[in-house]
Amino acid sequence: MNTRNEEHALMISSIRSGRRALLVASGLVWFAAAGTAVAGELSPDQATAFIDKTGKELMAAVNGSASADKKAAALTAIVDRAVDVTTIGRFCLGRFWRLATPQQQKEYLELFHRVLVLNITSKVGDYEGVTLTVQRAAPREDGIAVTTTVTRPNNAPNRVDWLVSSESGSPLVIDVIAEGTSLRLTQRNDYTAYLTHNNNDVQSLIDALKKQAAAPAG
Amino acid sequence: MPVTVPFSNPPRRPRRVRKLAPSLYRKLGSIAALLMLVLMAGCATPPPASDPDALADFKDTNDPLEPTNRVFYAVNNGLDMVILRPAAQAYVYLVPETVRAHTHNVLTNLGNPVQLINDILEAKPRRAGDTLMRLLVNTTIGVGGVFDVATGWGWPAHDSDAGMTLALWGLSDGPYLFLPILGPSNPRDGTGFGLDYAADPTSWIGVGTTVDILKYSKAGLGAIDARAEVLDSLDKITQQALDPYATIRSLYRQHRQSQIDDARSDNGATVPAWFPAPPAKPGAATP
Repeated sequence: MNTRNEEHALMISSIRSGRRALLVASGLVWFAAAGTAVAGELSPDQATAFIDKTGKELMAAVNGSASADKKAAALTAIVDRAVDVTTIGRFCLGRFWRLATPQQQKEYLELFHRVLVLNITSKVGDYEGVTLTVQRAAPREDGIAVTTTVTRPNNAPNRVDWLVSSESGSPLVIDVIAEGTSLRLTQRNDYTAYLTHNNNDVQSLIDALKKQAAAPAG
Repeated sequence: MPVTVPFSNPPRRPRRVRKLAPSLYRKLGSIAALLMLVLMAGCATPPPASDPDALADFKDTNDPLEPTNRVFYAVNNGLDMVILRPAAQAYVYLVPETVRAHTHNVLTNLGNPVQLINDILEAKPRRAGDTLMRLLVNTTIGVGGVFDVATGWGWPAHDSDAGMTLALWGLSDGPYLFLPILGPSNPRDGTGFGLDYAADPTSWIGVGTTVDILKYSKAGLGAIDARAEVLDSLDKITQQALDPYATIRSLYRQHRQSQIDDARSDNGATVPAWFPAPPAKPGAATP
């Protein structure tokens, strides 16, 4: 969207200055940008390979004989490497992202990252014995959805889809859809409801996240 | 003596009517009372038109009865805290994992007749076939449903209920409802619950104390089994969500939509896993 607006502005300025060459050049830039977008797009095979690799890392991290702290640290490293926390954080704040001040945005993203990691690592012991098998990949509106089967001991196998996007340059997870429920959408609905009941005040969400980050749940 | 037979029969019939009618009226009464409550209670105020984003959010959430729903959510939560959750915890603590799994199998098998009706009404022959074979195989070889033999034989379980059937018929879900005892729902799924109850042979077959005890045991055990299944995940939601009510609303909606989407897109061939696969024709749709 932004690039298109910039290109549009560029076109107008080139027409105004009467320099036809610049107009052609800007047109070329536009096509080139569109071209890289297509060329840089993630293929289902790439997304599958990425999830396969990340899944193996995850299994290695949680299934070892290491202490819970070490496992949590390994898990945190994988999250930082494979998950686009910033994109997810922005998505979860929804329409309130634009209402937040730059300072609030920064603080929110930091807290979001902390709480996300805490929620993932706090129950690291429960993931013991988990296996993940990649099934297939299918393109979706905002990325490639890689379907996996996650099995935990004494539990029925679960279908988990990993939405992978390379918007940020390299393939990263931008959503996890467990049995048809999107984690980022659920989180966004949670935050939206909280903010709606707190005068649409982003600061109230930041304060609540601070509490969560300080006292990890269960 | 044969003469006494006609006289001994009539007194039993009115008793049957007496026994059925009050319970039916009680149920209708409670449903009517619930509807009145829902209709009388406050509605959520939509945001002003000057805030289109907030208005879009409000429409998206589709929860015009939110204040009422939140009251029922609080009531249910309270009941859950003192009754269902401790019961489910005790169940998990006291009953070994295998026994719980087999109990779950029996309860699932008892639900198969209703599921079969819904599969047929959804016009899903493969799914109906799966359910029929699950019912037959698990009831006989699986000893009354204790063992789930059918899954291993290529007839896996799937979800289907009257709410899903109505959805596949094109009925939209309508506004979100949080019903007392039943929990998250909507007019379509609430209706579906009633239809399933009415269609369930175990809800109208037989009379007598033993049958009643069995029925209540089934209902109670079903509730505890279902609650035990989500013990950890629900605890996690109430701990980690800033607004558990909204989180459950979101999860319920998404989960129902995914169940419906799964049913809609499940048009596989009616061939079980062990049957030799016919050679694939070029261009033909594969299951």
